[in-house]
Amino acid sequence: MSSVRFVFPKPKLAALLRTPGGLPVAEAMEQAHANLLTIRPACLAEVQDLLEQAEAAFQAMGIEFDDAGLASLYAVAVRAIGAGEICGSPAVDAALTSLCDLLDHLRTHRRYDREAIGVHVQAWRLLMTPDLPQAGADAVLDGLRRVSARYAA
Amino acid sequence: MALDPTSRSRFNLDKASVLLLDDTPIGMSILVQIVTGLGAKKLHRCTSVEMAQEAASKYEIDLAIVDSMAPSGAGYDFVKWLRQNGQEPNCYTPVLLTTAHTPAGDVVRARDCGGHIMIKKPIAPIVMLERIVWVAKEGRPFLFSGSYVGPDRRFRDDGPKDGVGRRREDLAARDPAVTDEAVVAAAPTDVGREPSATS
Repeated sequence: MSSVRFVFPKPKLAALLRTPGGLPVAEAMEQAHANLLTIRPACLAEVQDLLEQAEAAFQAMGIEFDDAGLASLYAVAVRAIGAGEICGSPAVDAALTSLCDLLDHLRTHRRYDREAIGVHVQAWRLLMTPDLPQAGADAVLDGLRRVSARYAA
Repeated sequence: MALDPTSRSRFNLDKASVLLLDDTPIGMSILVQIVTGLGAKKLHRCTSVEMAQEAASKYEIDLAIVDSMAPSGAGYDFVKWLRQNGQEPNCYTPVLLTTAHTPAGDVVRARDCGGHIMIKKPIAPIVMLERIVWVAKEGRPFLFSGSYVGPDRRFRDDGPKDGVGRRREDLAARDPAVTDEAVVAAAPTDVGREPSATS
């Protein structure tokens, strides 16, 4: 039986949150969403730049198992997750999560499927298309998830 | 945990000192826009573990929002440092971990670093607020156990598996009338209770 010691700290945050004044939840949500809209152009530019880096990293990847190549593409893709939603392309976040899952599975199990990776990178560009119909985006995401799930075990 | 985004209930982050750690410009920018929207004004923006350690050593931090910083996972190292080397009261600061993706090899590291809860990116403002309210909840035990220092990770106490507990307070699960606090207060040597660390 390991030795365990408990402490019951009183977070100051609880008292601060209850301080009179502040914001109603609805107003805070409105403000946060308005703030996020202001960074949409910067976000779009950043995601576009990362997409180009990802395409270059994919092109540089070897024909056979390339751990360094998988790692460098992962490092690019993971940085863009979260920005898709702000850019108005939430499907990009889901596609990138599927790509990171795939790259992680491949590295973990030392397997390689360049085609599966390529499909994800191409889908990233496709999902950046403005006004892409939701049904089309959903179908693409469904396909990507099936591809990455193939390597999960 | 769900909050109604149209609620008129008020909360106040005006005076809270918030540490933000994210090494990507866009990730930091998103965090800043969300927390300022929620009314936070005192922000310590850190883009590296070193900057975050410096901020946590100099200022009292009421809330830390720390990105895991995949693929290195350096954010976990910062939280572990904060818990094990940070001074009071910052070593008990509520920590929200954010992550874009957690590689399989980092799951244990993420679980054991001492964060309160993890949020998967993309982060919606309402989810951030819900988690802030959740981590601020009082009365959550903080645990020092071997190499783990951080909040008790058990959200629910369903009792020990197969009725065999590894901790003395697991006995509480057998008797619903016995509260955690009563068990901790009554426990001898190996399970101690210390007074509140912050005032």
